Order: sequence, then structure tokens, then C-alpha cells
Amino acid sequence: MNEQPIWEVRDVSKTFPGARALDGVALRLFVGEVHALVGENGSGKSTLAKCLSGTYQPDSGQILHRGELVELRDPSAGQAFGVATFYQELSLVPSLSVVENVHLGRLPGRGGLVSWHAARERAAEALRRLEVSIDLDRSVGELSVAEQQLVEIAKAISRGDSTLLILDEPTAALGVGEVERLHQVVRALARDAAVLYISHRLDEVLSVADVVTVLRDGRVVDERRAAGTTMQAVARVMLGEKLDDYRGREDVAVGDEPLLEARELRSEGGANGASFVLRRGEVLGLGGLIGSGRTEIARALFGADRLTAGELVLEGRRLRPRSPAHAIAAGIAYLPENRKADGLFFNLLAPANISIARLRAVSNGPILNLTKEGRRARALARELRLSPGAERRNVAFLSGGNQQKLVLGRWLFAEAKVLILDEPTQGIDIRAKREIYELIDELTKRGVGIVLISSDYPELLSICDRVAVVRDGRIVHTGARGDLSQHDLIELASSGELGAAA
Amino acid sequence: MRGFGFGGRAVVAAARSQVAGPFIMLALVVVFAALTTERFLNGQNLRNLGLEMAIVAIIAIGSTFVILTAQIDLSPGSIVALTSMSMAVLLTKHHVSLELTVLLMLLLGAGLGLVNGFFCSYGRIPSFIFTLATLSVFQGLAFLETDGTPIFNLSPRLEHSFYGELKGIPYPFLYVVVLYVLAWAYLRYTHGGRRIYAVGGNQAAARLVGINVNRVRTKVFVVAGTLAAFGGLLMSAQLNSGSPEYGRGLELQAIAAAVIGGTSLFGGQGNIVATLFGAMIITIVQNVLNLHAVGTAWQNITTGVIISLAVGIDMWRGPVARAIVSRWRSLGRLRAAERVAVEEQAASPLAAPRENVRTRP
Repeated sequence: MNEQPIWEVRDVSKTFPGARALDGVALRLFVGEVHALVGENGSGKSTLAKCLSGTYQPDSGQILHRGELVELRDPSAGQAFGVATFYQELSLVPSLSVVENVHLGRLPGRGGLVSWHAARERAAEALRRLEVSIDLDRSVGELSVAEQQLVEIAKAISRGDSTLLILDEPTAALGVGEVERLHQVVRALARDAAVLYISHRLDEVLSVADVVTVLRDGRVVDERRAAGTTMQAVARVMLGEKLDDYRGREDVAVGDEPLLEARELRSEGGANGASFVLRRGEVLGLGGLIGSGRTEIARALFGADRLTAGELVLEGRRLRPRSPAHAIAAGIAYLPENRKADGLFFNLLAPANISIARLRAVSNGPILNLTKEGRRARALARELRLSPGAERRNVAFLSGGNQQKLVLGRWLFAEAKVLILDEPTQGIDIRAKREIYELIDELTKRGVGIVLISSDYPELLSICDRVAVVRDGRIVHTGARGDLSQHDLIELASSGELGAAA
Repeated sequence: MRGFGFGGRAVVAAARSQVAGPFIMLALVVVFAALTTERFLNGQNLRNLGLEMAIVAIIAIGSTFVILTAQIDLSPGSIVALTSMSMAVLLTKHHVSLELTVLLMLLLGAGLGLVNGFFCSYGRIPSFIFTLATLSVFQGLAFLETDGTPIFNLSPRLEHSFYGELKGIPYPFLYVVVLYVLAWAYLRYTHGGRRIYAVGGNQAAARLVGINVNRVRTKVFVVAGTLAAFGGLLMSAQLNSGSPEYGRGLELQAIAAAVIGGTSLFGGQGNIVATLFGAMIITIVQNVLNLHAVGTAWQNITTGVIISLAVGIDMWRGPVARAIVSRWRSLGRLRAAERVAVEEQAASPLAAPRENVRTRP
């Protein structure tokens, strides 16, 4: 390519206390091109993005804009050069309207007075560029996650002429249809700006990007056109080893006896006549669109939402979970979708995070045995392959994969009978993902029954024994892994039935 | 370099330890008091100081428990008033035996704490609001008993029973030591203690691991109420009287002790030993001001300044220590880098002159 890149990174290095985040990285970004950045957690993707947005300053190396050397001292400098960043965590104020959020902190106006007319015009213009229609006056808290992300993007591009749009894990919270819609938006934006797209989901990366750059340990190890490459090939470069693909679930002997049976569950939260059977050692997937009621069914099983009708039978005995405490005592555990907000105790170290659901196992009577707790935690940390020394570090500083393993390890330790996993691999890298799949295998070998909620259809089809599709709080179809295709799942999730062709 | 790196880490670790800050502050306060105030180290003064400290320190245990669960209790001062009055009425008007009165008062404190705890957890009323209400209600009840008239000469046995000595050590010292050891052990070594930290650290997660969050949140108020009642008993015993005015402002001193000791008002972070240091700091400062005959107005102002300083130090000590250490390290790196740079300077074609760098479009 002969034309000049709009942004170029040359030989950039950045060191944090104890870690070399970037090591001589070079990158060229062109207008009209979606450039994907992939790599494991900690490979330096976000650091590189932050150097471009001005949030971090490289220790050495150069950043060039239209061939001229620039120094981005802070994020406002990045913005002045047209770098718009869109982070994983949304930075919207739920109680404010769409207009106010789009202009958050810089409403147009003069002398302390806001010009609402200009504000509306510009917000509407930004949304038009995204080819979406969202009511400007609705408060953002009422919007779906997907719509909120679009507002966030509108906010990013409304800051004037964008030269570079950085998207850091934009699809982590989206369902399949919504990802497709976002990708259309991304491609539309790429017409007059460069796009840097950071993601863990290689299938998405290959469908939206023109160029893929692979980072490993802070170095660029590969750059290739997306067309003509495969997920396998990219994953192999990412890990720096031959990826022996997770072969899909081994054929674990699934018991015949039902472990948990749900009959016509209805709950205050939104379960609406859900029935299914989970066998010992089985992984039952719950697929469906966001808002289809998957999480609500899980919450009803776990006693978080009160049952209004129907019954649950666990190991032949009727159960009506009154509270999470009651469900846990019976052996049903829930791993929340948002592990940071709902799973971890950041004020406790890893051993206490692991033992909390079963303190009796590390106690003599009511007295905690801290030595025993530490020993059991270290043993479990090895089993889970947590990064070395993780059990002594503040859990806030562990990687997403390690945090997720910690929360899973908690239930392994607590010897739960039924484990409900809500989006367990969202936002974590391939290696950690594979380890979590292996952990799921390990759990099922011990006879645990797993209910797995996931928006990742390939994941559902590779690690579940059976997949149940949820729509309107009910299960509309259940099929064995081999009998369903990804296409079937999408069709069932959106229409509730399989067409004549299938 | 290696040796320095280790030292640096130790400095950061010590600075971040929760007990270190309050301890250093206590040491400074003691040294300052001893140097500026002649009568401070006098045996009788230290003894009085200890007795004054005991009540604040005991109530501060309850405050720490409540704050650890990310709540607040504003009512202990009024519980002190109510127990002190109820005790006086029972002893002088109804001639109930001292032992039974003490038992009833502790139960009364637990019951008042239960009311606080129940409405703040199961009733979902923010604790700040609800205990502000009970602060007022409990004090009103204390006034109701005799229309606000204090009662004197409760019992000839009273002072001796609570303020006697065991081998030369006044009882209040023993109460403090025993209660603090129990509280420390409870928080560190029991399921209940672990659950308090879990609830304070992440309420949603605590619920999802099967902890009955409301029960934990109620329990800490019961502890706080019982200890406040005990504080009321000690106060009545010390003065051999009961008055609805007793205990006024004690809740703020107790909260201040916990906060000076580094307990986070957001919950989940705090150390009971540091709370004891906090209680000592507050009492010593007041004692010194008293010895210098400083008026109440200035005492209040000083206490306020100390609280803000303590919280400030708590927020800043981690970052400040880290900044100092990383500054030292980068100086070391810089010197090493300079040597390399001198050798490489001429050779590097990439070293663009600074003037060409744009920072604005």
C-alpha cells in the first residue's frame, strides 16, 4: 500500500512497574480500514490503544499523525487529533437522557448556558451516521445494553472529525444479532476514519476486520489480511504454540438419573413456564437472545427470584428455593454474568474468596483454621492453574481469566451439585477459555450438573451435551449437541420454531 | 539495586499495613503530649485518661463492626443515655438487684440494637437515616423516664463493682483488653467475622455465596447496641448517677475512633486494633486540651481537624509511599539509561529533535 497511513506507531515501548507492556511495537492505520488487534490478556492490546488515545505516554518510540510526529500528553490531546475511544466499560450516566450523554461534560452553548437546539442537532447527526434511531429524550438507563453501546459510540464520534476510532471489546455484552448490527456501524464509520478494533472473539474479528495484528507479550508477532486466513491460524500465532484445539466435550458418561428437574417454573422475575431435566454430569446449554429470559430462569433456580408456580425436584426431592442461601445449602450455585460486580470480594485475598461458600471445610467447629485455608487454596490454585503467586495478590489485580477461575474454583471447593454458569467466558482470552472448558469437564466428571448460559453459539454447540433454546421465559426446543446447527439456534431463538426447511 | 528494590517493597508494605498509620499517629500524639504538657505523664492523669478512654474504646468496637458492613450507627450515645437512666430508675425506684439490673440493661442494649438492625436491613431503610431517627427516639425515651431529672446515689456497690482493681489494674482496662481480644479473634477467626467482611466488601456477591446478608447486617447492630449499653453502665457506675444527658456525642467519638483507625466507611476494610489506637488518639488529644484549659469549642474544632487529617493520611499514604519509591527507582534507571544513551546518541537516526513534535493539531 503506497498511500500514507493516517496514524502510525513506530517502535513504541512502555513499561509498568514489574511488567514490560509494549516492546518495540509498530502499527500502521489507514482510513477506510478496520484494523483488528488480537492477543491474549496482558499481551498489550489495551496499552497500545491507550498510547494512541493519549491516556498513556510511551517510554520510547514515536507516534505519527499523517506522517508528522505528535506527542499525546493526555486524552484531550488525543481527542484534539480526532482519536475517539470506546472502552469495554460504558461511561454513560444512566439517569441522563441520550442527548445529555452524547455531549457528556461538553454540552454546546455559550456563557454557561446550554444550547439544547445545537445539542439535539449534533446528537441526532451522530446517530444518523450510525444509521440507528434512538429517542433522544429517553434516559440511557432504560435502553438495552446494545443501544447503550451505540450511544457510547455516538458520544465518541460526536466530538468532531474523527481520524481514529478505537473500540475495545465492543461486543462483550451483545447477542448475535446485535453484534452484526454493530459491525455494520463499524464498517460505516471506517469509510472516513481508521478503526482499531480490539477483541477476543476471533470469529468476529475475521468477519469485520481488513487487517489483523497479533500481539504477544507486548510484541507484534504477526500482521495479515483478514481475508484468506482462519481462526485456527490466528489463534496459533497468538498463543505462540500449536493450539491443540479444544476438541469439544469428551463423551463423559452422563448419568440417566435426573439430577435436577424443573417443571413449569414461573417466577416473579420472568420465568414463564420453563421445564427441563438436567442429569448428573451433564452440561445443559441455555441459548437465546438477550432478554429472552435465560438469566431469569437461572435466577429462579437459584432462589434469587421468587417462584410463583411450578416445582423443582433436586435428587428426587422437591425444592422451593426461598433464597440464594437456601439454594446453596441444597447444592445449587450460580456464577453471575458480571464476575467483578457480583462474584469477587476485592477486600479479601484469593483463599478467602475460595472458601467463603464453604467455610466449614476450613474450620474446626466455628473457628477458622487459616493455615488449612491457605493450604487448601494453594492446592486448588495449582489445580486451576492460577498464575503463580495469585493467591497472595489482591484479586483486583488478577487477569480476567484468573478472576473467573477463582470464582469457578469457589464452587469446585464448595462441592456444588448443580452449577449455573452465566456467560462464563465473556471477555476472556482463548487460553483461559480453554482452561475453563476443561474445568467444566472436570466438574462434570465429578458428577456436577451444569446449566450454561451463553450468547456464543459455537461455544454452546461445542461444550454442551444438550442445548435448550429459551424464548419469552420458556424453553422452546431442546436438542442434543449433534442434532443442532448454529443456524438452527439462531432461528429458534428469534422465531421460536424451526422452519420447514430445517 | 536489588537490595534497594526489596527495601522499597518493604517500605510500601509497611506503609500500606492498616495498623501502621494509626500507630505512628498515636506515637506522635503521645510524644507531642509528653513534650508540651507537664502533667500528661503523671500517674493519676494517665489513670484518668485510661478510664475516659475505656468507654469510647468499647463503643468504638460496635461502630467498627457496623461500619465494616458499610452501614453507620448514630445511636450509641442515646443508648448510653437510655441505659443510664433505666438503670437509675430500676435501682432507686424499683429496688431491683444490681446483678439483674446489669443483665436487663445489656438485654435492653441488644434489643435497641436489634431494632436498629432490623429496620436497616430487612426494613431497607438506610442506616444513616434510621439511626439518626433512633438517636432522637432513644434520647427522648431517656428524658421521659423522669422528665429529664438526673438521679443520684444509685448504689453504694456500683462504683466498686465496675471500677475496682484486679492486682492494681483497674477493671476498665481489663474490659477493654478482653473485649478487644474477643472482637479481634471474632473478626479474624470465626465464620461470623469473615461474613462481616464479605458483606461489607461486596453485598451482591455475599448474597450469591449464600450469606444471609440481612442477618449479618442486623447482627452488627446488636453487637453495637449491647456494647453501647455496657458503656452506659460504666458511665453510670463512674458517676454513681443516671442522666439523659450522658453519652451525648459519644457516637461521633466512636465513629471517629474507627475512622482514624483506618476503617473504610465504604465497608469491608478495617482493623479492630487500629480502632483502639484511634480511640486512644482522640482521648489523649482531648485530655491534653483539657490540661491546657482549652474550651469546648476549640476541642470540637481540633477533633474535627484530626478526623479529616486521619482520613486524608489513610487515603494518601499508599499512593505517596509508592510515588516516593518509584521516584527513587526511576532515578536509578535514569542513571543507568544515561550511560547507555551517551554511547548510542550519535548512532540513533530516530531521535527526532523535540521542536518538531506536535502536541496540538
